Order: sequence, then structure tokens, then C-alpha cells
Amino acid sequence: MPAGPGTRTHCPYCALQCAMTLSPPDDDARAVGAPVTVAGRDFPTNRGGLCQKGWTSAQVLRAPDRLTTPLVRDADGELRPASWDEALDVVADGVRRLQAEHGREAVAVFGGGGLTNEKAYALGKFARVVLRTPFIDYNGRFCMASAAAGANRAFGIDRGLPFPLADVGAASAVVLLGSNLAETMPPSTAHLGDVRAQGGLVVVDPRHSATAALTDDGGGLHLQPVPGTDLAVLLGLLHVVLGEGLADEEYLAARTTGADEVRRSVAAWWPERVEQVSGVPADLVRRTARMLAARAALSRREGRGGVVVLTGRGVEQSSQGTATVSAAINLALALGLPGRPGSGYGAITGQGNGQGGREHGQKSDQLPGYRRIDDPAARAHVARVWGVDPDTLPGPGVPAVELLRHLGTPAGPRALLVHGCNLVVSAPDADRVRERLRALDLLVVCDLVPSETTRLAHVVLPVTQWAEEEGTMTSLEGRVLRRRRALPPPPGVRSELDVLHDLAARLGVPTGFPTDPAEVFDELARASAGGVADYSGLSHARLDAAEAAGQALHWPCPEGSAGTPRLFTESFPTPDGRARMVAVDHHGPADDLRRDAPIYLITGRVLQHYQSGAQTRRVPALATAQPEPYVELHPLLADRLGVSDGELVEVTSARGTAVAAAHVTPSARPDAVFMPFHWSGEGSANRLTSDATDPVSGMPEFKVCAVQVRAVGETSRGAADELEVVR
Amino acid sequence: MRVVVVGNGMVGSRFVEDLRARAPQAEITVVGAEEYEPYNRVLLSEVVAGAVGVASITLPTSDVDGVRVLRGTSATALDRTRRVLVLDSGEELPYDHLVLATGARARIPSVPGLERLPAGVHPLRSLDDAREIVAATVNTRRALVLGGGVLGLEVACGLRRRGLAVTLVHGGPHVMDRQLGDGAGAAALAGLTRLGIEQRTGVVAAEVHVSTFGTAATWGAPDGATADVATTDTGAVSRRVTGVRLTDGSTVAADLLILTAGTVPDVDLAERAGLEVRRGVVVDADLTTADRAVHAIGDCAEPPEGGTGLIAQGWEQSRRLAAVLAGADAPTSSPLGGTDVVRLKAHGLDVVAMGAPVAGARTVTLSDPAAGRHVEVSVADGAVVAVACVGAPEVGADLTTAYTRATPVPADPAQLLLRPVRGAATTAEPSPTLMPDRATVCRCNGVTKGDIVRCWEHGARSTDDVARATRATTGCGGCTEAVCGLVDWLAKASPDPSAGAPHSRTANGAQPASTSPAAVTLSEPVPSGSGTAQRRVPSSRS
Ligand SMILES: Cc1cc2nc3c(=O)[nH]c(=O)nc-3n(C[C@H](O)[C@H](O)[C@H](O)COP(=O)(O)OP(=O)(O)OC[C@H]3O[C@@H](n4cnc5c(N)ncnc54)[C@H](O)[C@@H]3O)c2cc1C
Ligand code: SF4
Repeated sequence: MPAGPGTRTHCPYCALQCAMTLSPPDDDARAVGAPVTVAGRDFPTNRGGLCQKGWTSAQVLRAPDRLTTPLVRDADGELRPASWDEALDVVADGVRRLQAEHGREAVAVFGGGGLTNEKAYALGKFARVVLRTPFIDYNGRFCMASAAAGANRAFGIDRGLPFPLADVGAASAVVLLGSNLAETMPPSTAHLGDVRAQGGLVVVDPRHSATAALTDDGGGLHLQPVPGTDLAVLLGLLHVVLGEGLADEEYLAARTTGADEVRRSVAAWWPERVEQVSGVPADLVRRTARMLAARAALSRREGRGGVVVLTGRGVEQSSQGTATVSAAINLALALGLPGRPGSGYGAITGQGNGQGGREHGQKSDQLPGYRRIDDPAARAHVARVWGVDPDTLPGPGVPAVELLRHLGTPAGPRALLVHGCNLVVSAPDADRVRERLRALDLLVVCDLVPSETTRLAHVVLPVTQWAEEEGTMTSLEGRVLRRRRALPPPPGVRSELDVLHDLAARLGVPTGFPTDPAEVFDELARASAGGVADYSGLSHARLDAAEAAGQALHWPCPEGSAGTPRLFTESFPTPDGRARMVAVDHHGPADDLRRDAPIYLITGRVLQHYQSGAQTRRVPALATAQPEPYVELHPLLADRLGVSDGELVEVTSARGTAVAAAHVTPSARPDAVFMPFHWSGEGSANRLTSDATDPVSGMPEFKVCAVQVRAVGETSRGAADELEVVR
Repeated sequence: MRVVVVGNGMVGSRFVEDLRARAPQAEITVVGAEEYEPYNRVLLSEVVAGAVGVASITLPTSDVDGVRVLRGTSATALDRTRRVLVLDSGEELPYDHLVLATGARARIPSVPGLERLPAGVHPLRSLDDAREIVAATVNTRRALVLGGGVLGLEVACGLRRRGLAVTLVHGGPHVMDRQLGDGAGAAALAGLTRLGIEQRTGVVAAEVHVSTFGTAATWGAPDGATADVATTDTGAVSRRVTGVRLTDGSTVAADLLILTAGTVPDVDLAERAGLEVRRGVVVDADLTTADRAVHAIGDCAEPPEGGTGLIAQGWEQSRRLAAVLAGADAPTSSPLGGTDVVRLKAHGLDVVAMGAPVAGARTVTLSDPAAGRHVEVSVADGAVVAVACVGAPEVGADLTTAYTRATPVPADPAQLLLRPVRGAATTAEPSPTLMPDRATVCRCNGVTKGDIVRCWEHGARSTDDVARATRATTGCGGCTEAVCGLVDWLAKASPDPSAGAPHSRTANGAQPASTSPAAVTLSEPVPSGSGTAQRRVPSSRS
């Protein structure tokens, strides 16, 4: 461990992975029951900053209801404490029995983007080698799947940011599409200071979000499209860039293919049509495109002040999410950005290890190293590392939403192992997900605290938290970071690596599941060698040494490499070395407005909570600041509905109904309401969301659906019934 | 299934795409009279204006595997009994389904002098027309645009953008009178005047003056303009427009005359084949004629709700017919609101109009002639049913989405006349004194002004102290200035910290500004809010 007092690690939550130092508890920490003191640490991404989630993260370590003993559902249907042996036997027996009766595919695995690289890798291997089921997928499907599919088809590689985040700080223009990073990863906005000073920040968001507000007062431009029409806006920007002769034609000719089809496809998206579809004034579309093109040209001439295009979940979690990412990439390519130092396209990863989590085999169609499971060479390589016959490896499974839909159906899986995911809150069409989980013969959930999903489980296994374990995380900029242990887990709590090891042994695979994270990493490195996401030059020791020396290691990092902070400077990892432009078209949301559902619902996050809120809802400071679910609506809509601030409103979609307190704010569009998705129960946004998916990525359309909104006529009942649900 | 499409324009070519997506096995042949690949006709006015290049209006090609494309080929007859389409090449194409997408032609007014179009006179419908107009602008000083509908306005503004002197002649009381009432029309006229476009309304052309020059060869017409050279009985003579006499007896000189007097659906083929034709080819809701094997879409069609001559309708029809022919469930629900949005694409003049007021509608109007702004909105059954909006592009954009999606209108429809104020989410307010205690100063850590005041009262004396205690400024750092400002303000308020702030105050810190020491409130300079107001005053002069 590097010198200096305290444990140098990173925040447990989002993909910014802010650097923090954990030291013995001071008075303040003790006062809130935290076993360590958290301090921000200077680092290129967070520049020493942390958001409130990070500052308070240590409190979750001692959450009063922390799980410290396995739970097994007894004959009466009650979850009761059990020993580890007993619990693991129940799991192993259940798996064996169900697989004997229904075949190997009767057991499925659901992973998470918060797991360390080591755990994600071990989980993928466990599914393929021990369970030998094709059915594994993870919640990253709700998060990064469209960005991944779009980047892969254009660049032949998917690394969220193909350049260090710090590049954004030196840009002269930054386009943020559907990303509310002022709310989701506040310290990152420190990198936007200079670009705002130059009026170069462009935010595309249906809400005047905290991030959109950064464009106020000359900071830049806010384009506020009707929900679900961001793609049309992008096509319009591209139309202007190509139609007005503002594109970097030299770059297009030298470094891309497919420009002609894209040019033709956007000929049909002139700004006035874009305005009609999206509500973004034609003139604003033109101004934005011209500003971006002018700055891109200037940066080409002067070699500084690049232009960066970034997408987030707001545009990706859509039934046309992959198309939207392709359009954003096409815009970046037309401006000649990718591969030019200081410029480029990137997707802002959401979950802590959303990046690493998708590289090491948790995805239904992938093997470690971002290899395709249907590629014979990839299978042979990985099988060799695993010491198994390639033919025993299962083929591709199905993406998350499809997997969930089939759980407990006659032809679908009968058992599910869940790791690092609170499905009941975070998956779309939550009521149906709950139903599917209830239909299972065996639901095993590993978690830190009781969650809405553990409540449905047959077996609950208590596992370690970030400060109690060693491992690695890959941040939003593709940098591999060390997570370090500051204190031992509470008695009774085990790491998922232990769990997988013990289960494998019970299921007849006594070797191949080491419990030492460094050892797991070394195997991961070997398995990834030669793959797109090559970690073979990395080890815990090397990462420690590099950090001590102030060096960053970004993948790909094959043996002998110093890592790759910037991709594409010479060529793209595609067969011909060129980026592929893919023509796409806008169709609109799957669940569009109807007479009985004349308002859009958009969903998203708030600063104080992370994902399904299972962790952050347990931190009093966060819970107080953002105690309950709410529905944000514009004063004009509130007036029309006869609702005032704080009163309850009922939101109904074709799938379900939710009730939550009204937050009346002019930052909303009058035709759309917003709900954060961190809560379960009657205010759960994902009871309403649509499980329509993107045809390419399988990403569900979380961000937009059609709803009816009406006043309930009572004021908010407060947070009490919220916590009750979690019991 | 053999499908033959007549017309490879905007709708015909889109239909080929749509049908291929729905029914990949269909054998498709598309016949187009124009030599070109399909292009975006809508952008021809932008080409005339010099705003987009010809190269960038080409649409996705229909020339893909499984589709036979016959460019530069006209269909000359439709034999419905034998189910064959006859081409000018003599070839006969058998079909199971025939789709007419022949579009429309420019209407040429019957005015003496226009029996044959002299040089310098152009309609604007095809790429060739646009190219010729662009070429002509090089040697032209005075242009006259005949017809003040949408297209006429676009052309007039476009030519003006190229620096020509432009006169717009319109028979109605004001331009775009099909879409705009008097108030909106007046605002549009004002807008045109501001752009320097001369207007003559309430008059039409009585005669086009033409001068006759030697032979065509000596005139040297630009390439491709040979169609403008008429051959008279006496030999090859070039006739060229010099001006137009209007019905009020006046004459306007012009060396370029653009005809924008409306369009006529191209229905020849259907008419001769005995299909029912009114203005366009009559079709039912499924875009099918009385002959179930013959369909019509786009500008040539006349569906039950009537043709709009707008592309949105044509593309919607294309999607629907593709679904019908593919045997899929046709999209049952028509779009919620209307699609008849007429949006002017002119540089310097913003006009958008849609719908029509229905009986019992409530109409609200904002009239601002001095600013060239006029907004008129009709509301019925809680939705926008008609809009005329001039000189207010952002309001127009909002109204368009409200109209096309039929979203609920505000309780008071007058709210629709201005952009609803879009406030910032929750940024710190500028003045420490006016800021309520519950105002968030540091978003990252959820620190309010009240928290900072309490922190001061507990002994914090610097920004660093505050940061340590509340973590304000330790996230993105964006609030550092605001926190410094608060600390300074608190320091001024209680210059002698040893005297100690009365700690009992913290108990009622929830009351807005209750923690603000009174002395400071009085000494605080003018709140910055009124500074903004002052700045606005001089700007209104400009
Ligand atoms: C300058 C201009 C600006 C416009 N601006 C707008 C606008 O802003 N918004 C809007 O909504 N609409 C606008 N329009 C209208 C829009 O262009 C039409 O609605 C659209 O082109 C209709 O498409 P279509 O395929 O039906 O007809 P067209 O695009 O006219 O295509 C018909 C094709 O069929 C061919 N054809 C005809 N007869 C035969 C035959 N017998 N054999 C073979 N081929 C044949 C023609 O040559 C032509 O290529 C504009 C039109 C113009 C001219
Ligand atoms: S949640 Fe994200 S932004 Fe907040 S401290 Fe943790 S890593 Fe940083």
C-alpha cells in the first residue's frame, strides 16, 4: 500500500470513482456511527472533491440493519437466520436439483455494475464453468448497453471515455446529451469551468436540470427537446454541419467509412422538421451546429481547445438508444473529433464499475477481455485459461430484460442468483419483475443490507462492502483503480469471492475459484490477454506501484504496455482501421402519448441517492435531504391539475400507478413530469416505466413513457411508509 | 408480390424504404421521370437561398438489392385490366400493386406572356428549376415573385439573402392568407418590409412583358436552360422577361420572375386510367383507390381528410401503406394532434401556422406589431387546435409540439402566448441578505445558507472552517465564491467574533432571513436583481 496515513481507495458509488482516504474514525465520524473517517483525495478526476454520497459513504458500513448472517426461507415462508454452511447447502442442493430436473439452463445469474472486476470475472466464470448456463446478464444492461453497442459498431471498442476526463477541462466546447452530471457526479463539473467561461457548454435535456443550469448566464446553450426526441436533434445538428459545408471533409475521407449514407439520411432532417418533432427551435439547432463546427475548426488550426461530445443515460435508455449513440458519434466524426487529442466522443458511465463490469464476462454474449462468446478463437483462449474444454462453454444467453421476462415461466429459468443488484427497484416494469421473481423456485441474493429484492429471496447471503475488501474498479475513463481494505468486515459477512468458491466446491468444482482478489485479478489478466479490453499487463502490485509513482493506467494494457490513456490517435480498432458511420433514423418512443396518457414521464437520479437507494436511503443525511420520491412538474401543469407543491399526485402508465409528492418547478417542461427512480413502494418510478427495449442493445426504455397525472388531494405522508417497505 | 411505384420523389423513394423494411421479399420497381437520385425537394428553397449546397440534399438511394430503379423514365399509361404499367421506353411492367407517387406540379397562372415560359421565368418544383434560378441570380438585379404563399415567401427571402431587389406580388389581402389572419398577416408583412422586400398585395399579374432578342444561339442561355428557349413560327428566337403589368395598371420591372402560385397534383396517369380524381387521386384511409390494386400517396393523393401538400402527411401515408401491403396491422391510431404544420423556412422571418379554429374554440391573441410579433392560439377541449405565430420562433416551436401531440394546455390559454419562464433548478441566489435560509448554496453536499450561518455561529470564521464543518465547496467547487461571499457577509455583520453571535438564534433559524443580522440587511447594497432590471432599460433602445 502506498505510503501516507490512511487507506487510499475510491468511493463505493458512481463511475467517477472519486479518490478518498479512509482513516480511523474521528469525532464527527463517531457521531454518525461511521467506523472510518472519509476524506477526499486529490486525483485528476475529482480534484479532491466528493459529493455528499461519498462523504457519508462510511455510514453504510454500520447501517443498523446491515446483513451479518445468511437468511434462509423456512417452511412457513419466513426468512430466518442460518449458518453459512446451511445456507450454501440450500443453494447448492437447489441448483443441483433444478438442473437435474430441468437442465443446466434452469439456473440464471444476474450481476451488477458495482461489483469489482475480480467479482465480475469470477461470477462470469462461475456461470460458464460451474453452472454451465448461458443465462447470465447484469444491470449494466439498464445502463451502458446502448453506449456499448454504438461505440462497438463505430469504433470496434467500447471504453466509456476513450480519453482522460481531464481532457474535458481543456475543451472549448462540450456537448452533454442526456447527462445530468451536476446531479449524478457533481465533482466532475469542476472540469466544465473553462468551457462555460467560453460559452461553449451545450446541454441537451428535456429538463432545465442542474446541469442545464450550467449553461445559464452565457455558459452555453440549453436545448430542451420533447422527451424521446434527442435523436432528432442530433440528426438536425448533423444536417446543418454537413449541409452547410462545416464538416471536416478531410477527416471523413481519411478516417471513416459510411459518410455518404449518413449524409443522405440526414438530408431528411432539416432544422424546421427537427423543430416540429422536438420543439427545439430551428434557429437554435443551426446556432449550436455552427458553434460546434467553428470551435472544432479552430481547435484543428490551433491545436488546442478541443470539442467533446458526451452521452448519458438520458438519451441511451431508449428504444432508439443505440441509434442515438450512433448519431452522436456521427456528429463527432463529421466534426473530425475522435482520435484528435483534446477532442472526441464519450459515454459517461454511471455505475461504479459499469465499465469493468461489462468487460469481464457478466454480459450474456461475452467472455473476459470483451470477447464474444460466439467467437471460436475467443472460446478456445478463455477455455485454456480456465482449464476446460471449449465445447463445454455455453453459448450466448439473452439480455437482461428478456431474461427477467422469462424467469419462472414454463420454459424459463427456475432459479436466479443475484449479485449487487436491487432488481425490484431498478428494473423497468417493476411490478412485473416482482411477479417473475416470485415465480422462481430458488432466488438467491447477495447483498449488504436488506433490499426490496432480498425480501423475495429464498436465500440471502451477507457480503462485504467496499472498505472491507481489496480489488479493482475501472472508472468512466477506462482507468483501472485499486479498491483497498480499510477495516475487516463485521463477523458473519463474507466476500462474494468466498461465496463463489464455496458454492463451486459444493457443485463439484473444487479448484479455479481463488478467494484472494490479487490472484483472481492475475487470472483475469491472462483471460483478457489479446482481447479488446486487454488487462494482461496489469496486476495489483503494478497498479499499486504506478499509483505511488503518480501514473495512470488505462486499458488496453497488454503485457509490457504503459496503458492507453487516449484511443484512436492513429487508427480505429476496426478491420480497416476506419471508424464506421452508421445511418440511423428517429422514430420516437415506443410508448408515446395517447389520449388517456397525454403527458410524458421521464426518470432519473438525484444527487443524494445511488441506484435503487438501498445504500443511500440508509444514510440519515442523505435521507433527510431527499427523503421521499417525488414528481416534478411545471407550474402550468400543476395549475391545470390543481396541485400545489407538496401535495400528492398519482401517475399512471399502461403498466402501473405510482403516488408521490408534487415538486412544482419551472425547470420541468409543461408536457412532461420527472420522477427519480431510487425508491420502491407506491412512489416507485419503475412501476410505470416501459420494458420496451432497443433492438440492438436490449436496453430498456426507462427514460420516457406516456402517463396520466392527477391530483390525489392529500399532502405527502412523509418517508415513514418508505422505510417500512424495506424492513 | 410485385409492387410498382410511379414517382421516385420524396414520398415514392421513402415508400420503397418503408416497404423493404416491412416486406423484404416484395419485388419492387420504381419509375421516376427525374434523372436524379431522390432528393429533398423541401430544401430547394434553401438551395435558392444559398443556405445549403445541392450535394447535401440527396436522400437515401432506392437503388438497393431487390429494387429495380428506372430513373429518367416516365410512365405513360396504366392498363388496369391487364395490370400493367406502360413506360415511355415501351416497356410494360406487370404489377400486383401499383403505387402512384407522382407528386405535384407548379401551377402556371394563365397570364398573357406565360403561354410558353420566356427566359428568366421559373417555377420552383424540381432540382433543375432550383439550379436554373441559382444560375440566373448571377446576372439578375430585380426579381419578382408571383404568389405570396409559403413558397413565395421562402423564395423572396432567399433571393433577398442573395442580394437581389425583390418584389413579392400577392393577390390576397396579405401574404399567406390561407394560413394567417389579418393580425398575423400584418406582422408577416412588417417582417418582409424589414428584410427589404417590396410587397404588392391585392393585385395579380395582368401580363408578363417579354422582350425578343435575336436567335437563341446569340443569347447564350446557361446550360440546361434550353427549355426556356421557345421556338416560334418565325424561327429560333429568345424571349426574355422584362417586367410584369399588374391588375392595378402599374408595371414592375424584373429580369427574373419566379412563379409560386401553388401546385396541382400530378394526376394524368390516374385520370386516363379512369380512376376517380378530384383535386388529387381519391383514396380511402388505407391509401387505396376503388381499384384495390392501385394506391396513391404523397402530393398526388387525396385522402378522406384532404391533401395538405406537406411532406409530413406524405411520409405518414408511406408508412401506413407499407404496413397495409405487408399485411401487418396498419398503425391504427392516427397521430394525436394535427400534422398540418406550415413552417416557413426563411432567413430572417419566422412564421408557423397550423390547424383551423373549430366551433366553440377559444382564441387568445398577442399582438405586438412594433416588434413584428403576432401569436394567435385557438384552444378547444383542452388542446391547441389552431396557431398562427409570426416573429416568435420559440413560442412557435412550443406550440407546434403542443399541437401535434395534443398535450394538455394551461388552465389559462393566454399562458401559451409567451414562453413559460424556465427558471434555474436551484442555484444559489446572488445576495446573501435576500437569500432565504433554506436556499441551497452547495448542491454537491446539500448545504443551505442556514447551515453556513449556524456553522458561523458555532465558531467557523473562514471558508476553510465552513468547508470542514459542512463540506460546502468540497464537491465540484462551484459554490466557492458564494460561500466566500457568505463568510464575508457574516464577518461584516458581526465584526467582533469574540462578542459571540447569540447562539439562541439557531433555534429559529428556519424562519427566512431571521438569522440575518438586521444591521447588515440595511447596509446591504442594492440587490443584484434590480441591477439586471436597470440594465434592461437601455437595451430597449436598440
Ligand atoms: C421549394 C419547395 C419547398 C417546400 N417546402 C416544404 C416544407 O417546408 N414543408 C413541407 O412539408 N413541404 C414542403 N414542400 C412540399 C414537399 O416538397 C412535397 O410535399 C413533397 O415533395 C411531396 O412528395 P411526393 O413524392 O408526393 O412528390 P414529389 O416529391 O413531387 O415527387 C414526385 C416524383 O414523381 C415523378 N413523376 C411524376 N409523374 C411521373 C410519371 N408519370 N412517371 C414517372 N415519374 C413521375 C416526378 O418527376 C417527381 O420526381 C416544398 C416543396 C417545394 C417545391
Ligand atoms: S458518488 Fe460519485 S461523485 Fe459522489 S463522491 Fe462517489 S464517486 Fe464521487
